[in-house]
Amino acid sequence: MSKMKTLLVLAIFSGVIFSARAEVTIEELLEKIQQNMDLTTDVSARVTFTQQKVDQGTKTIDSIYYRRDHDDSFLIVMVAPENEKGNGYLRVGDNFWMYRINTRTFQHINRDENIGGTDAKGSNFEKRKLPELYEGVKDAFGKEVVTETMLGKVPVYEFEVKAKVNDVDYPKKTYWITKDNYLPLKEQNFSSSNTLMLTAYFRKYATMNGKFVPVEHLYIDEFEKGNKTVVEISDIKTDRLSDDIFTKAYLENLSK
Amino acid sequence: MNFILMISLRNLLRQKKRNILLGTSIAFGVMILVAANSFSHGISDVMFNRVMRYVAGQVSITTFEKNMISCQIFRDKNRLMDIVNRNSQGITRTDEAVGTVCRAIGNGKSENVVVIGLDTRQKVTAKTLKEFEESFKIVDGSFVELKNPKIENPAVISTDRARDLNVKVNDIIRIRYKNVFGQDQAARLTVVGVMKITNIFMSGVIFVELQNVKALLGYEPWEVGGLNFTINDPKRNAVRIADRLHAALNPGLAEIVASLNFKEKHAQASVFGFFNNDEIKKKISDHVAFSFPPDKDTLSKKGVLVTFDLANKLGVTAGDKIEFSYKNKFGNKITKMEYAVTAVIQPKKCLDADVVLMNENIFYPLFYENLPPSPVKSSGAYIPQKSDPLYESLAPEWILLPRTRTTDDFQKKLHQLTSKKWKAAVVDVATMYESASDILKFESALNIITLVAVLILFFIIVVGVVNTLRMTIRERTREIGTMRAIGMQQRDVRNAFLLEIMFLTFFASLVGIAMAFAAMWGVSRLSFDVIDNPLGMLLVDSHIYFLPTALGVFFNVMLIMAIAFITAYFPARRAAALKAAEALRHYE
Repeated sequence: MSKMKTLLVLAIFSGVIFSARAEVTIEELLEKIQQNMDLTTDVSARVTFTQQKVDQGTKTIDSIYYRRDHDDSFLIVMVAPENEKGNGYLRVGDNFWMYRINTRTFQHINRDENIGGTDAKGSNFEKRKLPELYEGVKDAFGKEVVTETMLGKVPVYEFEVKAKVNDVDYPKKTYWITKDNYLPLKEQNFSSSNTLMLTAYFRKYATMNGKFVPVEHLYIDEFEKGNKTVVEISDIKTDRLSDDIFTKAYLENLSK
Repeated sequence: MNFILMISLRNLLRQKKRNILLGTSIAFGVMILVAANSFSHGISDVMFNRVMRYVAGQVSITTFEKNMISCQIFRDKNRLMDIVNRNSQGITRTDEAVGTVCRAIGNGKSENVVVIGLDTRQKVTAKTLKEFEESFKIVDGSFVELKNPKIENPAVISTDRARDLNVKVNDIIRIRYKNVFGQDQAARLTVVGVMKITNIFMSGVIFVELQNVKALLGYEPWEVGGLNFTINDPKRNAVRIADRLHAALNPGLAEIVASLNFKEKHAQASVFGFFNNDEIKKKISDHVAFSFPPDKDTLSKKGVLVTFDLANKLGVTAGDKIEFSYKNKFGNKITKMEYAVTAVIQPKKCLDADVVLMNENIFYPLFYENLPPSPVKSSGAYIPQKSDPLYESLAPEWILLPRTRTTDDFQKKLHQLTSKKWKAAVVDVATMYESASDILKFESALNIITLVAVLILFFIIVVGVVNTLRMTIRERTREIGTMRAIGMQQRDVRNAFLLEIMFLTFFASLVGIAMAFAAMWGVSRLSFDVIDNPLGMLLVDSHIYFLPTALGVFFNVMLIMAIAFITAYFPARRAAALKAAEALRHYE
């Protein structure tokens, strides 16, 4: 019994030593994350998904991604593997089309449909503001808890958020963000029953026009062990994109 | 007539060998026709009464939001049930349609499953219970445990999925699923029963108590995903009931009667949404005067339009932010939201003085997430007349999809939804015959193929009948002459031959029916171990399923008799036309 008490005291003290409550609010932190990553320019980039699934092996999908900032339109065209090459997705306003090169047809799809057979969905590419989607979780005393702690060797803020709206992928999240520049390094996603569903690691950032772009993310499926996805972003350009890009004709021509 | 009957029957026995051979051919044709029709009818029965009935209901009301079929939700179950109850003639049972596809992990194994809500609290008739138990036979545990509140999400699983997930009664299954709003969720189910499912199509099903599934999927108690109906004589009544429900589901306008607050001033207003398209925006612009020329943001989701009178009462101008507050219909909740005024408007011979207009992009999320009481029950609420020039521009409670009659039209209708930009909830009424009319087409096609095959067979039989008759007439020419000589009429001679063939066909048909039943019994004894093969859907309990009907068998026999009659008529008439003297002189 005394051993247990000692362990308990040690655990409490270690918590005090290695983590402390921060003065910053979760809303401020969400705003900082948003500001950091909110590219206010057009963007083009190469995005590679490497998806590993139990019993299905590894699948790599290479795509080119274009986003027009002023109306959040985007175009994705697949460049690999061979059976996906030329297929694409175009979103302009409320319209979201899938293009199939083998039939040369466009088909209206919903924003919650999967992109190129990966776990990514159309809605993941939409520009939605984090503080509008999530808010801080409060403790028993009605206070938000932001803990200053270490993630490996990096000092971070750790905090929990819950969804303010229904149409988000996960109702609860825990973030670990760097103290110096507020970049998410780790994110755990939970179901309403507090089951850990997915852990995301943002392993590398690039800076573009004073903003940060996570160029390498790792998503680990915590529900069905063994499934994971790595997303790598390269060739990022922030030059203004021609309006011609965000048209069906452009996607068709790209695929020829 | 009795005399002719006796002659016909006697003649039938005179050439036994020849008639047995011909009768066997006819019996064989009847056997194939009856068995094939019973098989195709069995397929329809399996698909409609053992699959579609449980999957989609004989008649169903499907409701969804955000233009996504996956977001099946109707925010006011009582409203929907009231409409149904007022039009319930012919409906014997109403079930809430709630279910989801999940990834399930059992003991070291994972598989996709479909969790379906089963309303164990609803009373069932002995007939319904018998039909249910025929389709879902419990082999371990019990359905009763589904409503045990001490067990975490009790579930009854099929034998196939229990094997796939390596679970037994009392084991835990973890499931990952998307709730009705698309959130990734996880839950634990406790296996309380294992059932043997007679149709492979349903083998992925896990039954969980309806209220538990609703809670898992994120429904509030007053919300519903859709309704499935079991009805009397579905083939005859399904379309009629669906049409009646469809007519009753015509929506009114979506309206929020809210208190508007700005600084210390308050006013009651009727808040309406309007469709977010250029045509409607132009129509609104034509029917109201703006306090200043509208720009692209005036009718956008950035704010609301407030009437001139209302703006005066509150003392607001464009750019001000006003608070809306109203008590929700459910949950004892008061909604408070703040919106910017994008313009002050003066309606021209339309709408009321105390009206707020909102772009549907902001109106519907507010309306559905915080459902207001019916405006009829709010004192002083303004209800626009259908003759109002802007009535059609205002957002309805829901959009009712048109009725369709075939699977093709039904699928086209659903496919077109993705190209629509509706923000309103969508309601659709369908019967299982249109959502799966291809099954009926398949049955008809199978029947036609069978009929064509049997007609080819019967062509050969017809040749046999004609040949038999020719030989018979030739052999009996002198006999015909004798009968005619002793006073038998031409008509009686013809009828004697016709009756002979009809008797032969009738008795052969009876034998054919018996052979068909024997063959169906024999084939349905064979067991097929079909797993993960769509053909398994055609089996019941791993056996081929035949469903002969009295009407079907009667029709088949009548068809054969008609063919035999037409075939025999002309040779019989020729025999009857023989002159007595010539017939008597006939010698071979």
